[in-house]
Amino acid sequence: MKLYNIKTTFLSVLAVAALASCSNDDDMTMEPTPMGTDFSGTYTQADHMGRPGINTVFSADINGQTNVKNSFNRTIPSQMNAQFQAGFEARLEQYHDVYAELLGFQPEDVNYETNILGLDATTLTTVLANDALDVAPDMPTTYFNGTQVLTGRALADDVIDISLTLLFGGETGARFSGQDTNNDGNADLPRLTSDGVALTATLSTSFPYLGAPN
Amino acid sequence: MKKTKIYLGLAVLAVASIILVAADHIDAPATTGTTADIADFYGFEPTVGSDNTVFVVDIQSSVLPELAYGEFDENVLVEINIDTDGDLVEDKVIQAIPRDGRMYFFGPVAPAQTGLNSEVLVDSPLGDVEISGNTAITETTTNGTKLFAGPRQDAFFFDFFQFNAVIGGMAPGGFKTAAEAENTFSGANTMSIVVEIPNSVIGNTTATNALGTPVYKTWVTTNVKQ
Repeated sequence: MKLYNIKTTFLSVLAVAALASCSNDDDMTMEPTPMGTDFSGTYTQADHMGRPGINTVFSADINGQTNVKNSFNRTIPSQMNAQFQAGFEARLEQYHDVYAELLGFQPEDVNYETNILGLDATTLTTVLANDALDVAPDMPTTYFNGTQVLTGRALADDVIDISLTLLFGGETGARFSGQDTNNDGNADLPRLTSDGVALTATLSTSFPYLGAPN
Repeated sequence: MKKTKIYLGLAVLAVASIILVAADHIDAPATTGTTADIADFYGFEPTVGSDNTVFVVDIQSSVLPELAYGEFDENVLVEINIDTDGDLVEDKVIQAIPRDGRMYFFGPVAPAQTGLNSEVLVDSPLGDVEISGNTAITETTTNGTKLFAGPRQDAFFFDFFQFNAVIGGMAPGGFKTAAEAENTFSGANTMSIVVEIPNSVIGNTTATNALGTPVYKTWVTTNVKQ
């Protein structure tokens, strides 16, 4: 806002305040927003988040695309599926190609496998590309607890392990979970369904629920 | 995919993953390290059977020293978007924006316009609260909504350095065991905005999740003054 605009706004606010104070209407209720506070202007979207980790994990400049991560943050959710689902599915397969190579297989031999929710690669990435967090007003909250899913995200939900399980767990949820297939005491398959860490922050049972800063 | 392409793919993944962090922390070059960088977003029932819904928006992070952290920016408008009919277009928004040490909240009401540009809904004030220091200061509005804004512990947990090794093709074993793994966000703080609002104030929803359960479809945005 230019300076003259600020001055004009300030003067008009003063005028309103003066009028209000002259009023004889005892029923007039003051809005909680204090007079003189300037909220004017246009604000343009810079960042977006629905579910955790979507842009971080799935957006990538592949298949000739550029600037995908920035574009994602400036796209309205109703347009996300059309713009990003195909790239998300390609990225999901790319992650599997990385492990095909590390395991000594051809990339086409290690692919995404339909997950414990019964979602194939296209369906899963379609769900995730519509990047909104579902929050059920009348159900217990859990990102996924084995039976209930998609009713919100609580502070202690292990969203990373859930996400990894849905991406790499296959039909059993444990497809790549560090199995020792030849019983020699060492893991023969990669550990991809859990990052191994748990909540360390302090939570509270009362509002605002998050622990005081460190 | 041919092998040569794979090696190229690995290299690209490795480079692309250097600055990758987490839930939404530092998710894209244009917002990384800015005062508008969303760190995280939560939506939950405070207790089983409660008639309220809690939204937590974390902005900024102290997880890396070079990131913006510590003060809300008066040029950044935070919007919690709520779709109640399942078309992924916001039907109600709750706004939060700081002025002179207080966080002002507006809504939930239908925005003047949906999409990428917003104005503060000055005709629909919800309430305001002093921005807290280390001790939480909260307010409860006349319609029963609780408000908070201030620094808090970052509740996110993720072994992000190992994640980068995994997607970079540098970790044949994948993630570490629980005994070896480290939560990168342990000890980190974030600037939190917390709203606990009666569901009756938001209103009914006809949107459903993938299993048919009625839900609010929600997302948060930061919006920078032009």
